[in-house]
Amino acid sequence: MNKKYDAIVIGAGVIGTPIAYELAQMGYKTLTVDKLPDAGMGSTAASCAIVRAHYSTEDGVAMAYEGFKYWLDWENYLGNVKDEKGLAKFMNTGSILIKSQGHDWRKVKKNYDAVGVTYEEWSVEKIKEMVPAYDLHEFWPVRRPEDPTFFDESTRMLEGAIFCPEGGYVNDPELSAHNIMRAAETRGSEFIFNVEVVAIRDNGERVTGITLKDGTEYDAPVVVNVAGPHSYKINRMAKGVWEGCNIKTKALRHEVMHCSSPEGYDYLNDGYHTSDGDIGCYYRPEVGNMFLIGSEDPECDPQEWVDPDDFYAGKGGLGRDNQLTEAQWKAQSYRCARRVPTMTIPNQPRGVVDLYDCSDDWIPIYDKSDLPGFYMAIGTSGNQYKNAPVVGAVMAELVDKCEKGLDHDQDPLQFKLRHIGHPIDVGFFSRKREINYNSSFSVNG
Amino acid sequence: MKIFVCVKHVPDSAATIRIVEPNEIDETVTFLLNPYDENAVEAAVQLKSEDDDSEVIAVTVGKPAAADTLRSALAMGVDRGIHVITDHWPDSIVTARALKAAIVQDGDSGLILTGKATIDSEGFQTQFRLAAALDIPVATNVGAITRHDEGVIVTCGLEAGDEQVIRMAMPCVIGAAKTLNTPRYPTLPDIIKARKKAINEVEIESLGIESPDSQMEIVGLRPAVEARRKQIIDGPPREAVAELIRRLDEEVKIKLR
Repeated sequence: MNKKYDAIVIGAGVIGTPIAYELAQMGYKTLTVDKLPDAGMGSTAASCAIVRAHYSTEDGVAMAYEGFKYWLDWENYLGNVKDEKGLAKFMNTGSILIKSQGHDWRKVKKNYDAVGVTYEEWSVEKIKEMVPAYDLHEFWPVRRPEDPTFFDESTRMLEGAIFCPEGGYVNDPELSAHNIMRAAETRGSEFIFNVEVVAIRDNGERVTGITLKDGTEYDAPVVVNVAGPHSYKINRMAKGVWEGCNIKTKALRHEVMHCSSPEGYDYLNDGYHTSDGDIGCYYRPEVGNMFLIGSEDPECDPQEWVDPDDFYAGKGGLGRDNQLTEAQWKAQSYRCARRVPTMTIPNQPRGVVDLYDCSDDWIPIYDKSDLPGFYMAIGTSGNQYKNAPVVGAVMAELVDKCEKGLDHDQDPLQFKLRHIGHPIDVGFFSRKREINYNSSFSVNG
Repeated sequence: MKIFVCVKHVPDSAATIRIVEPNEIDETVTFLLNPYDENAVEAAVQLKSEDDDSEVIAVTVGKPAAADTLRSALAMGVDRGIHVITDHWPDSIVTARALKAAIVQDGDSGLILTGKATIDSEGFQTQFRLAAALDIPVATNVGAITRHDEGVIVTCGLEAGDEQVIRMAMPCVIGAAKTLNTPRYPTLPDIIKARKKAINEVEIESLGIESPDSQMEIVGLRPAVEARRKQIIDGPPREAVAELIRRLDEEVKIKLR
C-alpha cells in the first residue's frame, strides 16, 4: 500500500514550504519532497531576498506590501516555532527607488497611493544627505562596458527617489525556508529530502500521486508543483498540464556580484536597498560590508536559458555551475560603480550564480491546471521571494476552494490579503492568460 | 628610476579548469592578474609614491588577451605597460629571456618586481632566470622592502616561519609574497583612467631572443585529485567541538590554545 496524503508539494523552497504550512493549518496532511538535502537549498539559497513593494501593477504592489507584514512579524507567523538553526532576520534598511527612465516610477507611486504604502519622496539633495557615496548623475540608457560610450561623463542629474522605509532584505533566504518547514512540521507536515520525482500519476480523471526515482509511490488527490527552475520538467510529467499552459516557464541563468564598500562607508549598517533602473542594477548590503549587486535585466544584456539539470550538475565540477562570466561581472560591477564611484572593484570576480524560474511574461503562475488536483506556483522569475508567505496563503485557499468545487478558470478566486485587507484577483496569475505586456519583462515584475 | 613589474595573465583560481586534450586548458574561463603579482604591483606603486621621479612599468609575456591583465595593473596605479605578444605558452626560460629583452629595450631598470609564483604553472623559476639573465641579485617570498642607500633591504620568509633579511644592490629582482602588503583595488574612475594609459605591444619574434639549447614542453595535463580523508565527529555540538579541537591539537598539531 502506498502511503497516502491529502496533498503533496514538490519543492521545499521558500514558496513550497509556506504552501505546505498553510495547507497544514487548514487541516491537510501534507508531504513535501525535494531533490536536495534540506529546505531552501535550491535557487532559494541564492536569492537576494529583497523585500520591496515597488511593482508595475497595483496587485503586485499589494501582494508585496502584504509580504512586508509577514517579514516584520516573522516569529508570530511561524507560531513562535524553535528552529535549531536559528531564525532568518529581516534587515529593515528601507528601500530607495531611484526615479529614472528605467522604472515606471509614476505608476509605482500611483500604486503606492492606491494600496496605502508608506513612502517619502526624496529630492536629489535628500538622497545625497542620506547616502553621500552616491553620484546622482543620470547615466541612462543602460549600456555595457564593451560599448565605448559606457564611460562617457554625464552632465545630467537624476530627479530624485521614492523611499519606502519598510523595505529591506532577509539576511538568510535558505534559513527562512527552513524556518517555515519547522513551523509546518508543528502542524503535522512531513518533509522528505534527497528524492527525485520521476512521474506524476493520474487515473485518467485526476492526479493520484507521485513516483520517485527509487520506485517509491506516494498517493494524494492534490499535487502542487513548486519545483522552481525545474518547474517545466515537472509540468511535462503531468498529463496535459504543460500543453494546457498558455504561459510557459523555463530556467534562466543569473549572476549577482559582490564588491567591497568604499573605505569609511559602513554600508552594511548604514546602507539602503536601492533599485536603480538608471543603471539597470539593484543593490543591497551584504555580510563583510559588501555591495551585493543584482541585474534588472536591461535589454542590452544577453539571456542564457539553460537546462536546470545540467546547471546543477556543475560545469565540469561538483555543485552548481557557479562561475561568474567575466563580461557580466564587469557589466554589473561597473554599472553599480557609476552610482558609487568610490566603491572598489577587485580583479577577481566574486558573486553567486543561480537560476530563475522564468515565465514568458515574467509574472508568476499561481493556478490550477488542466489535470484536476494538480496545481502550480511557478515562474517566480526572480521577483517573488518577498511574496512567499503570501503565496502560501493564496495557494492554500486556491487548492481548498477548487477541491470544494470552485471553477477558478471561469470564476477566478478573489483573495483578501490578511493584513492589509486589499483584494487580489488570483486570475491575474492564470496559466491561460495571454502574455501580459504591462509586465516589466524583468526581475522588477 | 624605472620600476618594472612582471605580471602574468592566469586563470581565476575559482574557475573550474577543463583540460583540452592533450596539453591545453579551456581558455573560456575568467583570466586575471596573477594574485602574487597584485602584491608586486602594490609594492611598486607604493615605492613610486615615495619617489616622484619613479615610473612604474608593467611587463607581460602572453597572448593578446593578456592585455586585460595589463589594464588591471594600470588601474592599480602602474604608469604604462609593455605587452610581449606570443601565441604560445612559453616556458620560464623563454619567458625570462623575453622579459629581459623587453626591459632592456625600454631602458635601465632600477628595480624589477614579480610575484613569488604564478598560480597556474607554479614553476617558481622565472624570477630567478630573469635575474640570472640580467646578472643581478634576486630575493623571493619577500614580505617587506625598504630603500637603503643605493639598494634595498628585504625580508624573506623561509620555511618553518623563519625570516631572512637581505641587503641587495639595485637593480635587483624581488619576488613578492602575500604578506608584503594588501593590494589596493581600483575604483571605476581608476579603471577609466587606465583605459587611456599606453601599452607598447611588442611581437616576441621582434625581440631577437636566442633560442635555448633545450626547452620545457608540456606533453600532457591531468586534473589533480586530492584524496580527502573524511572524519565525522558525532555527538552534541559542544562535545563535538571539544573533540575537534583535541584532534587538531594532538593529531594535526595545530596549536589553537
